[in-house]
Amino acid sequence: MERATLLKDFFRKAWPAYLAAFGFHFAANLIHVCYPQILGRITDRLQAGALTAGLLAREALVLLAVGAGHVVIGAAGMLLIMYTGRTFEKQVRNRLFWHFSRLGERFHAKNGVGRLLNYFMNDVTAVRESIAMGFNAATNAVMLLAASVTMMVLAGIPPGLVAASVLPLLAIPLFVVRFGPRIRDRSLDVQRALGEMTETAEEQFGGIRVTKSFAVEPIMNARFGKTVERIRESQLRLVRLSAFFQAVVPFLGAASLAVAIVLGGRMAVAGRITLGHFVSLTLYVRMLMHPLQQIGNVVNAIQRSRASLERLNGLLSERPEIADIGRPGDVSFGQAALEVRNLTFRYGPGERPVLRNVSFRVEPGATLGITGRTGSGKTTLAKLILRLIDPPPGTIRIGDADIRELSLESLRTQIGYVPQDGFLFSTTIRENIAFHKRDEELAAVERAARQACIYDSIVRMEHRFDTRLGERGLTLSGGQRQRVSLARGLFKNAPIMILDDSTSAVDAATEQAVIESLRRERKNRTTLIISHRISAIKHADEIIVLDDGEIVQRGTHEALIARPGLYRTFHSIQEEGSRFATGTGDS
Amino acid sequence: MRPAQAIHNWQLDQKADLGLSAPKPRYVPAFRTLVGYMKPHAWRLCAVVGCAVASVMSDLLQPYLVKVAIDDNLMAGRNDWRALIAIGGAYFLLSVAGLAFTYLQGNLLQAIGQSVVAKIRTQLFDHILKQSMRYFDRMSRGGLITHISSDTEAISQFFNQVLLSLIRDGFTVVLILAMMFRLDATLALYSLLLLPAVSAVAAAFRSRMRKTYQLARTRLSRMVAFVAENLSGMSIVQAFHQQKEQQKRLEELNEEYFRANLREIGTNVAFGRTFELLSNLFIAFITWAGGRAVVGHSLEFGVLYAFIAYIRQFFQPVSTITQQWNTLQAATVAVTRIWDVLSQKPDITDRATRGSEGAPDEGRTWPAEGGGSSAAGAGLGRFSPERVKGGIVFDRISFSYDGVVPVIRDLDLEIAPGEMIGIVGSTGAGKSSLISLLCRFYDVDEGSIRIDGTDIRDIPQAVLHRLVGLVQQEPFLYSGSLIDNVRLFDESVPREDVIRACELVGADMIAKKMRNGYDARLSGRGSGLSAGERQLIAFARIAVFRPKVLILDEASANLDSHTEQLLQHALDVVSRGRTTIVIAHRLSTVRQADRIIVMSRGRIAEQGTHEQLLSRRGMYWELYRLSVGQKAGLTNIPESGEQP
Repeated sequence: MERATLLKDFFRKAWPAYLAAFGFHFAANLIHVCYPQILGRITDRLQAGALTAGLLAREALVLLAVGAGHVVIGAAGMLLIMYTGRTFEKQVRNRLFWHFSRLGERFHAKNGVGRLLNYFMNDVTAVRESIAMGFNAATNAVMLLAASVTMMVLAGIPPGLVAASVLPLLAIPLFVVRFGPRIRDRSLDVQRALGEMTETAEEQFGGIRVTKSFAVEPIMNARFGKTVERIRESQLRLVRLSAFFQAVVPFLGAASLAVAIVLGGRMAVAGRITLGHFVSLTLYVRMLMHPLQQIGNVVNAIQRSRASLERLNGLLSERPEIADIGRPGDVSFGQAALEVRNLTFRYGPGERPVLRNVSFRVEPGATLGITGRTGSGKTTLAKLILRLIDPPPGTIRIGDADIRELSLESLRTQIGYVPQDGFLFSTTIRENIAFHKRDEELAAVERAARQACIYDSIVRMEHRFDTRLGERGLTLSGGQRQRVSLARGLFKNAPIMILDDSTSAVDAATEQAVIESLRRERKNRTTLIISHRISAIKHADEIIVLDDGEIVQRGTHEALIARPGLYRTFHSIQEEGSRFATGTGDS
Repeated sequence: MRPAQAIHNWQLDQKADLGLSAPKPRYVPAFRTLVGYMKPHAWRLCAVVGCAVASVMSDLLQPYLVKVAIDDNLMAGRNDWRALIAIGGAYFLLSVAGLAFTYLQGNLLQAIGQSVVAKIRTQLFDHILKQSMRYFDRMSRGGLITHISSDTEAISQFFNQVLLSLIRDGFTVVLILAMMFRLDATLALYSLLLLPAVSAVAAAFRSRMRKTYQLARTRLSRMVAFVAENLSGMSIVQAFHQQKEQQKRLEELNEEYFRANLREIGTNVAFGRTFELLSNLFIAFITWAGGRAVVGHSLEFGVLYAFIAYIRQFFQPVSTITQQWNTLQAATVAVTRIWDVLSQKPDITDRATRGSEGAPDEGRTWPAEGGGSSAAGAGLGRFSPERVKGGIVFDRISFSYDGVVPVIRDLDLEIAPGEMIGIVGSTGAGKSSLISLLCRFYDVDEGSIRIDGTDIRDIPQAVLHRLVGLVQQEPFLYSGSLIDNVRLFDESVPREDVIRACELVGADMIAKKMRNGYDARLSGRGSGLSAGERQLIAFARIAVFRPKVLILDEASANLDSHTEQLLQHALDVVSRGRTTIVIAHRLSTVRQADRIIVMSRGRIAEQGTHEQLLSRRGMYWELYRLSVGQKAGLTNIPESGEQP
């Protein structure tokens, strides 16, 4: 498997920007290091009594020019890199999202929304920080250090003195290496504790009715309080380390200055260096402290981002398990039969099969009803037909083609699907229904809404089809949600349609109307109806009953009801109440 | 489940574009509030200030020492090696002191900050839990979570960054000015001119920085919401082959965020650089002005040196302080928002305690209420489980969610102790609302609901909720063990009781199914339990908490027939000896009920037993006919052989 190399790809394109920024930083720092030099020169002239008012004014102007030039050029380099970094962030996010949308059910189930969102937000940001902020700060610090040392030596300050004065400063990176990872661990603890608290709060608000109706508020408060306490503890643990770390950096700077005062002062007194040298030496040491502090931050950022980068690369290397194979064909489903042959499926090697040796054939235009207990494999079957999960080769065919040999586009655009949970997006009702083709005119959306028996409810809303749904919009009831989802499936007007328990939250009267409408609309078009409710499937041309992944019964409603078996049990429980149930089958 | 009449809240809709950043920061009240929270830590805060002064002083004395070295030794041409060593030594000692005090200050301040934040968090959570259901309908869950986590985190950052900087950098600025005046008043006065200039620059950038910051935040949260939603609905996106379309939208949102970001960065860099430019300008000026004074021998050179060092040290804290602006603002907004939440009085409260009759010791089943409602502990006597019979009266009640559309109108209903009532009716008839009112999730607009003759508004909520048990249509599971999910983390309920309760209602089959049995971890999502199984757990809760009134919103969805039988059994067991109200979706339940209430448009349309209602050939008969379907149903209806 080829491993993704995010940074390499990025630098391959972005190196000119980095080169330019490097140039800017270089120029800015070259100018910057003249600063102490000029002040040193002024000192020497002053001491020599050679400083006139005019000369002083000129030096002050040079000082000003140096200050301004360094600031402006440095800003150019900084902005360039920040821009590049943000571009990186944007591109990686686009790429990640595309990647997410190609990966299959298994991947999404394994990772969950929270974790993927974390990759998408935090990991990308962490990497961006180290290649942008990190680059800026590190380049500045290193250049300033190099340039300062060079300037000092060039100015005639003995290298030994320079080395002795700068030496304590160089201990800063050592401290960083020592403390950086430990600080990071502790700050991760804080993050984790925060996450835990958020989760607990989320859960509590979700279960507010339970909490209230059992009057267990004090217990839930205590439970929440524990997570709050954990945050506090981890924060304090973190600060013990980070406060020390932050104090030690200026301390090392001061230690450097102490060395400079004692050794430099001695040399100045002995006349081996001028007073100007002494002044510029102390100024250089002061100037270097801040960038070297920055190096600490950079190292931390890089450490953080290293793991993030690993994760992102790993994630992007993940191959979509469901993809077009070879040169996929396109088949029109209009007159094609759907056939499932000896389908046995398990989610993972060694796991129990969810479907066992399932075979059936739906002729073009026919309706198949599928029923069975929870966990009998009905939904898996629907997902296999859509290739949301990959079926074993040769087990599912439409027309003459194995669906694995069809392009995903031709397969999925020709099957209408109404999933079990009625998931809707936080956008308008219109966009939700017209999800398949969003620029379609309103009339088509309205038609689908009528077919799904939701039209009346929608037009009663203030914004009708433009009503927004979701967190900050309107919340539909379960039954309404299901019917909008149904309208979305019907809107597709597809040759094959799969309804997965799509009227389960609809009340009986509405359900009847929906089923009638479905029968009318899907007449002579292939339709698979999965349902627990007998009432939803009894009109089907054929009904199969799944139990533990196997087809245990098949036939028409009349035929199935005439003989003992699971179907009749379901039927009698649902229609007459348990006292009349024959009690066959389950234990 | 929420009642069908979802609350159409325009305000929330309006807010959607601004994210949650609605309130104007109110600095003074926010500050006052925080001061209130810090009061218990006054001594520690004094210690922080002391440490800060000490560490700043040790920092600021350093240039002064160099000045002494220059003026008294180097310039004076005195070859006093020992004096230099003494100065260097003092310098080193000062830096050690700086190290120690900085460390202490950071730790102390964080200890204060974290205590305050922890207190606010628990208080906030406690307060939110006390709110009525109406509040939870109105507020988005995301918003509440924002208050609990990010808003409190913003306050935490206030302590970590803003307060730290204000103390440390504030003292630095003040002490630098003091040092400057000590050294040379004229130059110090010049330097004082800096303050207005610096403030002017900061003010000029302030509003722009705030705007760009907020724009970026809003766009970011929009993108996050989009991604989160698409991740959870990925199978839909894929099944409809809409990856490209969704990708396009994401890229649009991403681009918008990118642009907002660039604007924010541009503003911030411009601000920082303007500041630095100002600092360099001033150093050049001081060099010129001070240099002239040195040339004119009215100033020692060492003083000029110290001034230049101080000006450099002066700008850094000022710049750090102004960098705190965003954080300070975010924290103020957060405090404002949190206080908006905290000042929201729960619209359902316990009425003032009537002369409390000293609750008899009820032992485990009725734990004294701690931080909950104040009246909870009192007045329990009359409502102890032994004494409550469970008769319920709905007396001419009316109710609406929004004050406009009535959901329940003038409804009268009397339920005898131990009776089992089935409520049927189409979506929106007011069934869920009726039971929500009985749980006092909402208060009635008119009329009253009485249990054993007492208005439920006169019963402390904590007591009422122990009397009335609810099994929701889609019961909520907590992340925790099966045991804890049944006893709701109440560790005073022994494990054996929980197991017995589970066996009683048939929920033991879930434990048998799970790898870790009763210790299996469940969670809100993805615990692999069906709606029916969740209801079994909820029934077990009832068996543990033993309310006198049971309310069941039957699962209508996704039940297979086996689970249905289990649930039927559980209901049989649990409803024994309890007044039971069921929102019924199953014929079996309906038939078993002592009385069936048919609701329509907020009123009771019909009531009676199954047979009575069928023979009436009204609404119930219609509903029944629809759900039974035509052919099969009729052959099996015993006495009423009506052909449609």
